[in-house]
Amino acid sequence: MSEEILKERVKTELSDMGPVDILVGIPSYNNAATIGHVVQAAQAGLLRYFPNQRALIVNSDGGSKDGTPDVVEKSRLDTQALLISHTLHAVNRLTTPYHGIPGKGSAFRTIFQIAAEVGARACAVVDSDLRSITPEWFDLLLRPVLDRNFDYVAPYYKRHKYDGTITNSIVYPLTRALYGRRLRQPIGGEFGFSGRLALHFLARDVWTTDVARYGIDIWMTTTAIAENFRVCQSYLGAKIHDAKDPGADLSAMLTQVVGSVFSLMETYQDAWRNVLGSLPAPLFGFPFEVGLEPLPINIPRMVASFVQGCRDLRPVYEQILSPTLVSQLASCAAQPTESFCLPDELWVAVIYEYALAYRHHVIDREHLVKSLTPLYLGWVASFARLTENESALQVDERIERLCMVYEQLKSYLITRWPLGTPKER
Amino acid sequence: MDTFWEETIFQPLQELGRQAVASLSSLLGMVILIFLGLGVGWLAKELVCRALRLLRFDRLCDTLGVSQEIERLGIVRPCSYVAGQVVQGMIILTALLAGLNAMRSPWTQNLVERFFVYVPHLLAALVILVVGALVSRFLGRSVLIAAVNARMPSARLLSALARIFVMTLAVVATLDELGIGRTTIIVTFAILFGGLVTAGAIAFGLGARDLARDLLNSQFRPGPKPEVEDTLRHL
Repeated sequence: MSEEILKERVKTELSDMGPVDILVGIPSYNNAATIGHVVQAAQAGLLRYFPNQRALIVNSDGGSKDGTPDVVEKSRLDTQALLISHTLHAVNRLTTPYHGIPGKGSAFRTIFQIAAEVGARACAVVDSDLRSITPEWFDLLLRPVLDRNFDYVAPYYKRHKYDGTITNSIVYPLTRALYGRRLRQPIGGEFGFSGRLALHFLARDVWTTDVARYGIDIWMTTTAIAENFRVCQSYLGAKIHDAKDPGADLSAMLTQVVGSVFSLMETYQDAWRNVLGSLPAPLFGFPFEVGLEPLPINIPRMVASFVQGCRDLRPVYEQILSPTLVSQLASCAAQPTESFCLPDELWVAVIYEYALAYRHHVIDREHLVKSLTPLYLGWVASFARLTENESALQVDERIERLCMVYEQLKSYLITRWPLGTPKER
Repeated sequence: MDTFWEETIFQPLQELGRQAVASLSSLLGMVILIFLGLGVGWLAKELVCRALRLLRFDRLCDTLGVSQEIERLGIVRPCSYVAGQVVQGMIILTALLAGLNAMRSPWTQNLVERFFVYVPHLLAALVILVVGALVSRFLGRSVLIAAVNARMPSARLLSALARIFVMTLAVVATLDELGIGRTTIIVTFAILFGGLVTAGAIAFGLGARDLARDLLNSQFRPGPKPEVEDTLRHL
């Protein structure tokens, strides 16, 4: 496999370097503006917290046109200013283009392959557009692997109450209810993992699927939980990164994320069918408070989208959802905007019936997930209206209640989920 | 005298008898072929239904939207059953034609010959129609969902237009394949489309300028720009 995805030059460089204890992977595509800061943070983190370990930073680039690899090569760290001294090993750096389907997953595959080549014991991957990353992040992502034998470290961020609404409304509660582990940011983007798990990821036959394109984060998290690797979380503070494409289509985003979660439900049906309830995952790091920028939100517009969806997409919903749910959604749509509310029970039932419809191929899967957009906006509007004057703690409690509803209604999903051969993803 | 009786009475009677026997054997052959067709057709229907059910053909049709299209035609039966019925019908029809052919009359033979020449066109037309219906349904739903997600007030109208457009193309192609009013249909289609475009241009440019503007405003103009732009980060 290594012959296929690693260039000879890279293999030669790796063999010259010799074995490595820690590997930090940074996937990139046109991130020249931010990647220098990320590389410096990684270098500082590795020198400060792991001075006796042999470390390597790998930039797996998707063919950037803005000189991202040059920035990586040229970024230098002022160790004097950071009061770093007495390091046994210098931190090596390597930039390589990845091969395969364009996407973050293919970039990760190259990182896993390099980790396997150099025999890394612990790895961390971080996004290249981060602005709030600090050297401590690497300690928090790598230490649980090196010192506590965890296999997978998921991030735990402090986020604004309206930040990460797909995560809050679907991905976190659904993953938690399905697989029984409470990982608050399953698609966070920054992860730590053991060399053993990297080899496991690498051996899976998923690199020509959507995992290679966009589904890598949720795939890694789900694989780690469903296949019983030791998982934990590390508190990283606030996550501030370059705004993704501002015109990014919400329905495309939903298709990618929710479609990946639904698809993994098929793969791991044997892992979740017998799970009831959930267990907390250990949390490392000091949960300090951070200042979060307020996020403006337009509730009437979202309610209008929901109302239009319930009206115009009714024939589609009638194919996907049970008549009771369709009529309940219509009742919700009839509410005045000022008192608009989409009850948690209704929302969770909608998600479960969507998962079942996805499983049964009721309609084209892309159509199916895209048709969820107005309903999702309805949930966001309802959530935003209810939490308008609530503190972060109260919002957390509200999300916790939503998670409990997901867990309580899981039997509904289990009884309707058809038994069949799980597919490799 | 004997010759007279033989030539005027017996020979015609013998000829009539031979013809009657030949016709009766042809008729019998036709009846046998039809009954055989009915039997084989029934057997084939059962086999096709069961095989398709085993192959989960109904689920595939549900996914592709074929079931819904069939339902819209008023047939509330699974697709495997419908496919079985089609196979049965085709076998019976073939048997019927073979039976007619067995009559050996120029008229039936001509009919059968023309029918078999027409069959490929009929099948091609059927395929065009079915594919057209499926594509129109798929495209209509794509447009509907995309338009709703883009908050366009005229989502359903756009979706219906997309479906009608594709179905019109499919029907025109079907009729063309069947050779029904080929020239007339193409000319009508061209006139209709040309007329629509011209009418639209005139409406924009001349008399109905205001009406066209109001209509477009009401149908396609997005709502007033919101005071607050969302900056939600969904992931």
